[in-house]
Amino acid sequence: MAERPRWREDFPVRWDEDTYMTRRELAKFLTLGSGLLAGVNVLIALIGLTGKPPATPVRRLAAADEVAPGGSLLFRYPTADDPCILVRDASGRFDAFSQVCTHLSCAVVHRPEEQSLACPCHKGSFSARDGLPLAGPPTRRLPRIVVEQCGGDLVATGIEV
Amino acid sequence: METYQQGSTLFSAVLVLVASVVVIQLWLVAAALDALLARQMAVLVPTALASAVLFMLSGGLLWYVVSFDERLRHWGPRA
Repeated sequence: MAERPRWREDFPVRWDEDTYMTRRELAKFLTLGSGLLAGVNVLIALIGLTGKPPATPVRRLAAADEVAPGGSLLFRYPTADDPCILVRDASGRFDAFSQVCTHLSCAVVHRPEEQSLACPCHKGSFSARDGLPLAGPPTRRLPRIVVEQCGGDLVATGIEV
Repeated sequence: METYQQGSTLFSAVLVLVASVVVIQLWLVAAALDALLARQMAVLVPTALASAVLFMLSGGLLWYVVSFDERLRHWGPRA
C-alpha cells in the first residue's frame, strides 16, 4: 500500500472541492447583490425626499464697502461647516457661492482677472458670475448663496442649488 | 430542441447580463449618493426607479434561466 504523502495531511481538501461555486450560485449571488443595490438606491431616494432641507438663516456677512471691486470675502453659511466665498466684480456687483468644488470638494479661490473661481486641486474653474463650470473636471455648478444688500450691509438669505 | 450545451450557453450569457446590470446599479448608487450630497433631489427618484427596474430584469433573467435548467433536468432534452 502506497504511503500517503505528508502534504496531504496538511492539505486534506481536494482542489475541486475547495470553495467551489457553481454558475447557478454565482447568478443567485449577483441577483441578490442587484436587489441590495436597488434597496440602497431606494433608501437614498427616501432619505433625500423625507429629509428636511437645511435651514437658511438670514445672516449679515459684511458691510458692502468692506469688499473692494475685484475683491472677495470668505464666510460660512448656513452653518460653520459650510465655507462660502463672496466676490465683487469690477462693476460693483456682488455674487456669493459655496467654496466647495463640486468635483472633489477642494476649496475654490477667486481669480478676479479671469472673473472665475478656480479649484487648484484639479484645475477646475467656475464662472464668478453664475457659478457654472467653465473648465476642468467639475460638471455641476457651485451652489449660489443669495445675497441681498440691506442699506450698507450684505446679508445672506438662502441657497440656490 | 433544448440541449445541455444550449443551457450552458444560455446560463453564461445570463451571467454576463446580470453582472452588467449589477455594474450599472453600482454606478446608479454612486450617482444617487452624489446627487443627495449635492442636494439635487430631482435625480433621486429616477435613479431609484431605474435601479428597481434593473433588479427586476436580473431577477427575471435568473428565473428564466433556472426554469430552463429545471426543465432540462426533469424532462430531458425536448425534440
